Amino acid sequence: MKLKTRLAVAVCKASGAVLRRLGRGGTNLPGKLALKIDKNILGELSRGVKVTVVTGTNGKTTTSRMIEQAFADAGLKYFSNKSGANLLTGIIAVFAQHCTLSGKCPYTHALIECDEAAFRKTSEFLPVECLVVNNIFRDQLDRYGEITHTLNAIREGITHVPDATLCLNADCSLTASLAQKIPNKVLWFGVNVPIYENAAHELSDAPYCIHCKTEYQYDYITYGHLGGFRCPKCGYHRREPDVAVTKILGAGADSSDIELSICGHMHEVHVNLPGGYNIYNAAAAAAVSHVVGIDEETAVSALGQFECGFGRAEQFTLGKAQARMMLVKNPAGFNQVINLIAHDKGTCKLAFLLNDRFADGTDISWIWDVDFETLAGQEARFTRILVSGVRADDMALRLKYAGFTSDRIEVIREYDALLEQVGTDETPAFLMPTYTAMFDLRGEIAKHTDVKAFYE
Amino acid sequence: MELNICHLYPDILNLYGDRGNIITMKRRLEARGIKVNIEECSIGQSIDIDKHDIFFIGGGQDFEQEVLLRDLAAGKGRDICTAVEEGKVFLAICGGYQMLGQYYKTWDGNQLDFIGAINIHTIGAKERMIGNYMYRTTPESGGSIVVGFENHSGKTYLGEDVAPLGMVLKGYGNNGEDQTEGARYKNVFATYSHGSLLPKNPALCDFILHTALARKYDGAEPLTPLDDTLENRAHDYMEERLRHG
Repeated sequence: MKLKTRLAVAVCKASGAVLRRLGRGGTNLPGKLALKIDKNILGELSRGVKVTVVTGTNGKTTTSRMIEQAFADAGLKYFSNKSGANLLTGIIAVFAQHCTLSGKCPYTHALIECDEAAFRKTSEFLPVECLVVNNIFRDQLDRYGEITHTLNAIREGITHVPDATLCLNADCSLTASLAQKIPNKVLWFGVNVPIYENAAHELSDAPYCIHCKTEYQYDYITYGHLGGFRCPKCGYHRREPDVAVTKILGAGADSSDIELSICGHMHEVHVNLPGGYNIYNAAAAAAVSHVVGIDEETAVSALGQFECGFGRAEQFTLGKAQARMMLVKNPAGFNQVINLIAHDKGTCKLAFLLNDRFADGTDISWIWDVDFETLAGQEARFTRILVSGVRADDMALRLKYAGFTSDRIEVIREYDALLEQVGTDETPAFLMPTYTAMFDLRGEIAKHTDVKAFYE
Repeated sequence: MELNICHLYPDILNLYGDRGNIITMKRRLEARGIKVNIEECSIGQSIDIDKHDIFFIGGGQDFEQEVLLRDLAAGKGRDICTAVEEGKVFLAICGGYQMLGQYYKTWDGNQLDFIGAINIHTIGAKERMIGNYMYRTTPESGGSIVVGFENHSGKTYLGEDVAPLGMVLKGYGNNGEDQTEGARYKNVFATYSHGSLLPKNPALCDFILHTALARKYDGAEPLTPLDDTLENRAHDYMEERLRHG
């Protein structure tokens, strides 16, 4: 091991330890310092490790937790970037943390969630065995730009890892286009049937063919632009998935049951989180298990066992009420949460928390593309309609124009007061924060209950 | 009374929550007992100039631009020009604004010809003009303060016969150079502001709606005030933040 690599590891470990000591989740600084000392540090540290990378717009964290459960159950010696530090510097820090001081990595596998835009750079250094691309949706236009930029960043990243097997979403016309003109093996996953009877009204993020710009035709749509697409002009079409959800057996407020075919072998699968998007995540995770060589029974049972947390349908007891925290980041993801709430027929409280800090996206115009109208149509079911966050006023206005009664929309700026209101009676609540609001809200909840910090 | 609104290319030009502008116009008209009909008009469909009072065009991605230009060249561009000259009300945002102009020249010199309904042109810059911003509309457009979010790399310059919609108070506006923002020509209102534009800028929304009503119903009465508590809160929050930020 080169001296500079050793030095970089030492600096990275030490600065990381100091930051954790200070109770800070500052996960980018140590990696930044290490990168300054040795620009190939990630290549050095990951040598010989079989790396699985999860990228795509929505579902990276949840899919990673599902895969992680399978890795753990299969007894693999692995580590992962659990903290959600998914940029190059954060990934470096995680590798350094799991190496010895001499820079040797004692693990056989690494499970890395990677930001879509950061994948282009990160993949230059990592020996990727398996790459999952969940989906590509419109997300944070102020940061990522157009949807095709995201797609091209991933496409370029793939050219660095020709030996990796790709697990691609067959139902996403954008993601599926990544399979063209590359030497990589591809394992397709997808959902063969519609998920919801009455899904939220959504704009398609990809109505026109990626190749010839003709409008797609669909045999069925699961959500957003996902489904059985085909181009009537150039013939580009959905591939039959190798890992396929063939039937939705039940979709409840806490979990889903599905019939899953893994390369022709049928399984009944319990997915330990609700929502159509998590059905996709489960299929993606099963595909990874197949690639990595985990037996199907272990892969399937992991999907019913895993826990996610960090605002992904995370459950809390707040005062007298049970609350579920559903992180919302973009129209596609938010509409999925709305589908979930709309299909849960009981009474509940709603809390919307909208921030516009960098990690949330500074442009909040996307809330106008979310189908709040579907919820407004069920207003009588909601005992409280609470709004908070930096841009609470814009959120309140959005709800008014969706058709909610203005007088019933309560803006509560302080999180402690908001949580108190949620807990005043036993009616369950759905908390829907954007990214930084989720962290702040979890921090506030942690003052009263036992919630893990995000770097633990 | 009744207004017919035509939403142009809603499936392509819908990048920045532009749907919010349609929802807002509809709600604010209906609150005053004015009937609203909204029709969508996209690729391959022709527009009915006589029928519609307001045309709305949003912003889009570069990816679909080719599809759009082909469709405009097939006749719709000419129809839009006619409607503009007849004094129909247009609200055009961002990409839709640029598209009404003469051309777009990329920073490396490629020129895309647009429909030329208004005498403006846009030059691509390497750096994006992006962020929350604020401008005051000219007295001819009501003189209100508009807050919104801009995200464009094109610098737009106004030609003869075209006035700005307003003057920038914070942010870039048309080009980051001359303080102008947006464009007015006849009854065209064009701006870079999304956010969505109209929900939290009710004064501008009502000015546009009144312009359409006054054209259709000779000398329409001023619109009755609405309860804009939530609208003004969202507006004032951003105005304050921009003034002190």
